[in-house]
Amino acid sequence: MASSIRPPVIPPPLPESWTPPAAPSKSISPLLQRRLIPAGPAYLAHVQRTTHGLSFEEHDKRIAEERALKEGAQSNGNSEDDLGVGDEPESLGLLALDPKEWKKQDHYAVLGLSHLRWRATDEQIKIAHRKKVLKHHPDKKAGAAGETNDDAFFKCISKAMDVLTNPEKRRQYDSVDFGLQDIEDDVPTPAQVTKAADPNKAFFEFYEPVFEREARFSRKEPVPMLGSYDDGKAEVEGFYDFWYNFDSWRSFEYLDKEVNEGSDNRDDKRYTEKKNKTERARRKKEDTQRLRLIVDQALSVDPRIKRIKQEEKEAREAKKKNKGGAVAAGGGAKVKAEEEKRKEEEEAKRKEEEEKVAKADAKKAKAAAANAAKKARRAARQAEEAAATGGGLAS
Amino acid sequence: MAVIESVPNGSALAPIEVSSVPTVVGINFGNSYASIAVLNKEGQAECIANEDGERQIACAIAFQGEEIYIGNQAKQQLVKNAENTITGFRNLLGKKFSEIKQDAAATSAPVIQHPDRADEPAYCVKVLQPAPSPLPSSATPKTATPTASRLATPRSEPVPALRFLTPADATTLFLRSLLQSAEDFLGRKADGAVISVPAWFAPAQLIALRAAAADAGIAVLQLLDDAGAAAVAATSAPTAEDLPADRTQLVVDLGASGLALTLLRVSDGLFSALAASYTPDASGDALDARLLRFFAKDFTKKTKVPLAIGDATDRRAEARLLLALEHTKRTVSASAGAATCSVESLKDGLDYTGTINRLRFDLEARPIYTAVVSAASDLLSSVDLDWLHVDELVYVGGSACLPGLDDALAACYSEDAATPFKAGTVAGGGPGDPTTLLARGCALQAGLLARIDDEAVRAAFAQGTETPTVAKTLGALFPAADGESEGEWVPLVHAGTPLPARRMVSVALDGPAGFELWEADECIKTERVKPPKAEPLSDEEDEEPAEVEEEEEVEVKEKVVGRETLLGAARLPGEGKREIEVAVVVGKDGSVEVSAGEPGGAREVVVKV
Repeated sequence: MASSIRPPVIPPPLPESWTPPAAPSKSISPLLQRRLIPAGPAYLAHVQRTTHGLSFEEHDKRIAEERALKEGAQSNGNSEDDLGVGDEPESLGLLALDPKEWKKQDHYAVLGLSHLRWRATDEQIKIAHRKKVLKHHPDKKAGAAGETNDDAFFKCISKAMDVLTNPEKRRQYDSVDFGLQDIEDDVPTPAQVTKAADPNKAFFEFYEPVFEREARFSRKEPVPMLGSYDDGKAEVEGFYDFWYNFDSWRSFEYLDKEVNEGSDNRDDKRYTEKKNKTERARRKKEDTQRLRLIVDQALSVDPRIKRIKQEEKEAREAKKKNKGGAVAAGGGAKVKAEEEKRKEEEEAKRKEEEEKVAKADAKKAKAAAANAAKKARRAARQAEEAAATGGGLAS
Repeated sequence: MAVIESVPNGSALAPIEVSSVPTVVGINFGNSYASIAVLNKEGQAECIANEDGERQIACAIAFQGEEIYIGNQAKQQLVKNAENTITGFRNLLGKKFSEIKQDAAATSAPVIQHPDRADEPAYCVKVLQPAPSPLPSSATPKTATPTASRLATPRSEPVPALRFLTPADATTLFLRSLLQSAEDFLGRKADGAVISVPAWFAPAQLIALRAAAADAGIAVLQLLDDAGAAAVAATSAPTAEDLPADRTQLVVDLGASGLALTLLRVSDGLFSALAASYTPDASGDALDARLLRFFAKDFTKKTKVPLAIGDATDRRAEARLLLALEHTKRTVSASAGAATCSVESLKDGLDYTGTINRLRFDLEARPIYTAVVSAASDLLSSVDLDWLHVDELVYVGGSACLPGLDDALAACYSEDAATPFKAGTVAGGGPGDPTTLLARGCALQAGLLARIDDEAVRAAFAQGTETPTVAKTLGALFPAADGESEGEWVPLVHAGTPLPARRMVSVALDGPAGFELWEADECIKTERVKPPKAEPLSDEEDEEPAEVEEEEEVEVKEKVVGRETLLGAARLPGEGKREIEVAVVVGKDGSVEVSAGEPGGAREVVVKV
């Protein structure tokens, strides 16, 4: 777009008597031919206009289009777009981090990715790292107040980058992400759901983020999500089925205790390794239990289960009603047969229980007998010993 | 989480080039010096140094034994190996032997008639050719004596030979080395190059240059006029943004071998040459000759050893002094202080160290400066223009760096004219640096051409197009109420503007407004006025009052606008305080359309001619 120039003069106020005078000439002086030097961007524009017969407005439009196209292509590349990394200001606590304690730092917060966390792509991590480095590189702070550990935070940034760009290390860190611990512990209780004003709504509100969070650990993709209240029986069952058989990649190597650096004692090392291994296993077990508990609790307050049961019941009743009087006689017989069957079953159960009780009784008796025998033996031994010592003294 | 497959070391691909800056080279190929420029990441042109760290690469090729030296190293060879050193080959490109002036004793390899080709100039140099390689060992018959060695016989000594080079061969050799330097800098193969050529190059010479460049492996995008390259570089400089979009530019190209002056009309980025001249007498070489004589005299004075310039016996001393002068001239250009010139063992084993201050230097260079000024004045008068019309001066070439030249021209050009010395962009490789300007202009042009994918548009760059231009300035007159003046004149489309053209002016208005569209002639009014009287000295002791009497009248020139024809008039839309954008579009056939409206908004046509 051609820019307009601003002349240095300000037009004076128009005299009131002024009327546009009639022009005596209807054309400008004859044109002169001159050769243009084929150079410069303006010549390119001139040639484009003349070869394609474009007017100035059309040409402006075309240039604007081309520019938009180019900018679009550039942002598709990676030049300006930061892929939604954004800028997160660092809290004072974050800046005061000790690089020696890097194992305890929240790497995502250090890189300013705490809003993305495990969702951050490698590209986003790269961009975030570059942004942080540009801001916190020691060279940039050389002139500022002479703090001694100026590059402490820079070291933290490099450590964070180290961890997050290595797929294996990142998996380990993601398993224990410190920034999510507080949220992870904050699991809704069934009581919270049932006591809410609208339990149906509350269930989804409370549990949806929980399952979304946990889904990241799944080895299987896609992970079924909580869904909505109107889901059918198959979906709900599928959901719980998946979550009860959840296959998690979560592991706890990140929390391992370091083998004491100073000692090359093999035993020491092995001991720590062994301890770490058991610790990992324990944590994994705990995690599985934790998830199971969550699913259990969710199942217990899931309004859909109630609804489905209700629906099934209604369906059955409706069926019953439909059949109703038409097959009353046959029905009576059927009911009788069913009742008998149930009775039989009950009897069998009772028998089983009785047997069990009897077995237990027998066991108890046996144990008591054994105990008695033991006691008798001990008493006899004591008596013997006493006699022996007595004899010794006497002799 | 997806586990990324590990990539073995060394198999990583080169990073994909996302940069939109094309890899192109701009080559300023002068007769004495050349320079190369490339586009940097930001798309700005940058003059680069070759492997020797030189931005000003001497156009010289020297043959010494088996070695070939190109550039400034070759120039050093002029001292001891002058007969095998080739210089000044560019101007001979595409010329016949009979056309070449056989001038006085050359300081480098002489131009001779090519022994095989008729009427073709050539240089004859002595080289050492590697000995022919031995016969392949398999040629030995199987029945040969068993003691015969199977190893190849060692190479014998290289044999001296004569080698004939045409100017085109020399150009190819030289351009190839320039391209190599640029590609080494870029780290990639160059997509194309723009080479600058002087305006007076004949078509045959252009063809010869194109062929030589093609032989050197250069994809020539365009052979651009020196003036065009200078204008492109000068208009792309950040300082040019403050200048009016329509202006007259005087390109002063004072190179080593001649003075080229070009008067350009710049209309919103479009360049057309109003006039051009070439003066071979005013040149850096002429300046060198004067300085040589000065220093030779100084040497003789100091050491009592006669040193005659232009004498065959002292040719070596002359060559030494000439090389040292290069440094002296650069020092004078860069700083205001005195410059030294020192040569070890100049003659008879005597060292020489001399200094020259600015004043003395300018005194020596005065004839060259005067020649430039008179050539420029002649050029202006040849197209009926005055120095007042020159809005901008652009300096090109090594000798144009001398501040004395600008001082000499400053006596002529108007105070409002922009020069790189005024803007302070000459020193330190600024945008107005005359030594790198052409190469940078070529690089910018190459960058522009490399992006064009439209064949029809690209073809238009091969040769300048004939375009109709406005003969007389069109402007708007805002009439005034008071009788003092007729109103305010705002020029819209200047004389010489190529068509079609569009100009937009935004004016701040208060109350009802109207304007008249006039065709006008911008001319220079010369008045003879008496200069303001000097303050009489307060003291009565001054007893010489007579001199004041003969005060001469001084010519004062002024730009005036003579309105000639009224083309139309109209009221401008809107009321009260407002900003109005007036757009004038002059079509190819000379039709004029003036429209006005709010800035950025729709405009309504108010006048149509």
